[in-house]
Amino acid sequence: MNLFLKEMKRNAASLLIWMLLITLLISVTMSFYGTFLENQSKILAMMSIIPKGALQFKGISNFEDLMSVLGFYSANNVIYMMLLGSIYAIVLSSGILLKEEYGKTAEFLLTWPLTRREVFISKLAAVAVNILLLNLVTALAGLVSMEIVKKEQFSEHAFLVLSVYTLLLNFLFCAIGIFLSAFVKRPKPVTTFSIGLVLIFYFVFTLSKITEGASLLGYLSPFKFADVNAINPSYHLDALNLIYFGGFSVLLTGLAYRLYIRKDIYT
Amino acid sequence: MNVPAIEITELSKFYGKVRGIENLSLEIGEGEIFGFIGPNGAGKSTTIRLLLNLIFPTRGSARIFGMDFIRDTKKIKSLTGYVPSDANAYPDMTVLEFLTYCSRFYGMLNGEARIGELSGLFDLDLKRKISGLSMGNRKKVSIVQSLLHNPKLLIVDEPTTGLDPLMQENFFELLRSENRRGMTVLFSSHVLSEVQMLCKRVAIIKEGRIVRIEDIETLRKRQLKKIQASFEGPVTPKDLDMEGISEVKAGAGSSLSFIWSGDINTLTAFLASRKMLNLTIEEPSLEEIFMHYYRQ
Repeated sequence: MNLFLKEMKRNAASLLIWMLLITLLISVTMSFYGTFLENQSKILAMMSIIPKGALQFKGISNFEDLMSVLGFYSANNVIYMMLLGSIYAIVLSSGILLKEEYGKTAEFLLTWPLTRREVFISKLAAVAVNILLLNLVTALAGLVSMEIVKKEQFSEHAFLVLSVYTLLLNFLFCAIGIFLSAFVKRPKPVTTFSIGLVLIFYFVFTLSKITEGASLLGYLSPFKFADVNAINPSYHLDALNLIYFGGFSVLLTGLAYRLYIRKDIYT
Repeated sequence: MNVPAIEITELSKFYGKVRGIENLSLEIGEGEIFGFIGPNGAGKSTTIRLLLNLIFPTRGSARIFGMDFIRDTKKIKSLTGYVPSDANAYPDMTVLEFLTYCSRFYGMLNGEARIGELSGLFDLDLKRKISGLSMGNRKKVSIVQSLLHNPKLLIVDEPTTGLDPLMQENFFELLRSENRRGMTVLFSSHVLSEVQMLCKRVAIIKEGRIVRIEDIETLRKRQLKKIQASFEGPVTPKDLDMEGISEVKAGAGSSLSFIWSGDINTLTAFLASRKMLNLTIEEPSLEEIFMHYYRQ
């Protein structure tokens, strides 16, 4: 608990900044919803010249979908909460074990009466709670924003499903990050590489959506499995997607644990 | 029968093909202050890091107070203090926050008194941020955190780097006093004078292997002599190519100095065949003794 609380305290400022940033982006974006509706005929005419596929990766199959508050929210949620949230998750998790090595604090922490297992679990728990808090606050910001600007009711169930997909995607990137943290042998930060990885996955996903015949490419990216088509009437948590996120998250975290408990620590 | 504080059996660590230590065996009794000497890269830190599970062995085993060094690492660490050669405490904490954080891992809920006592000995300002501390003050923090829980075993790796002579003396005095209360010390250093001041026994490590384990006094009293001889006519170190002679250095004129190991009569018989102007026989310094073993 000592280590867990220390990690929570250590990351509190960063969590607060990310929360404020994403909340601000969501609030500002949603504040344009009213203006968007007022000018919908002009906007639809303007958007008709954009290839349809260009917005499909945002979960929009028809431009009219953007006119519903949930459609508008989910299209922007992809960027703000899924992409930025994933960057937050991977940056935090990829540094959580490694920073003790390149910061030369492992010489203390790992020689105090703690097992590697306890260190791993405490740090993983701190990262998971941070990601959970970020998702809770930003989802709440999204919900409140939608309630303020909505012109008609929206499906709360669909909003919940979208929020769960966002959380699962963030947790998967957390697992990738903690795997990197345990796998990397040289005590150097991997922040740039981690952010690059998220952006590459996002680029691959985007490419698969907007390029004819490249849809299979999307399966290489975790973003593919986070369904954002929230205004689809049959929108739900798909079992295969859940297995994908759950399976890979558990597998990568398990591998990270196995590596870390016997990892040679150099500072 | 007393269980040794540390018992290392044929411990090896390879980094790929590069040797860290190889088949290293060592026993340190409870209550000893044991020196571990050798130059940088000899394997001292590797041995220590293995004992503390910072790295894991390629083969071999070790027991600390009779417990397996890997399986029982948590219990061992609760009895052990460690002063690393190069480490940073968390820079965003104050000294007091760091030491309190450390003390909680040892289950010390009210560690303030001990923190105050130890930091007072080293004149350590508890309110200062770790990030603003000098190297010497960081070393003091490192020393204090290692002793907070009154460990049964203290492992120190090059502990005096950055400490001024007064603080070094305070530290040595503290080690002696804790040792009198039963604490075992494994003192790793490349500075022989420190080892000489503190330790009763010493292991000399060379290229990952222990070349000799000796009482400091025995080491001093060995049949090692430092010889300085001036000859009539020119001589070179090659002229003294004989078993038992090492560390030959040419001096001013036709004089040579060297370390002799063996029966002194053999040496005098050898030297008698040459015409000498002067001969001095001295006890070698510990440094010279160490180099003698080290170069063997």
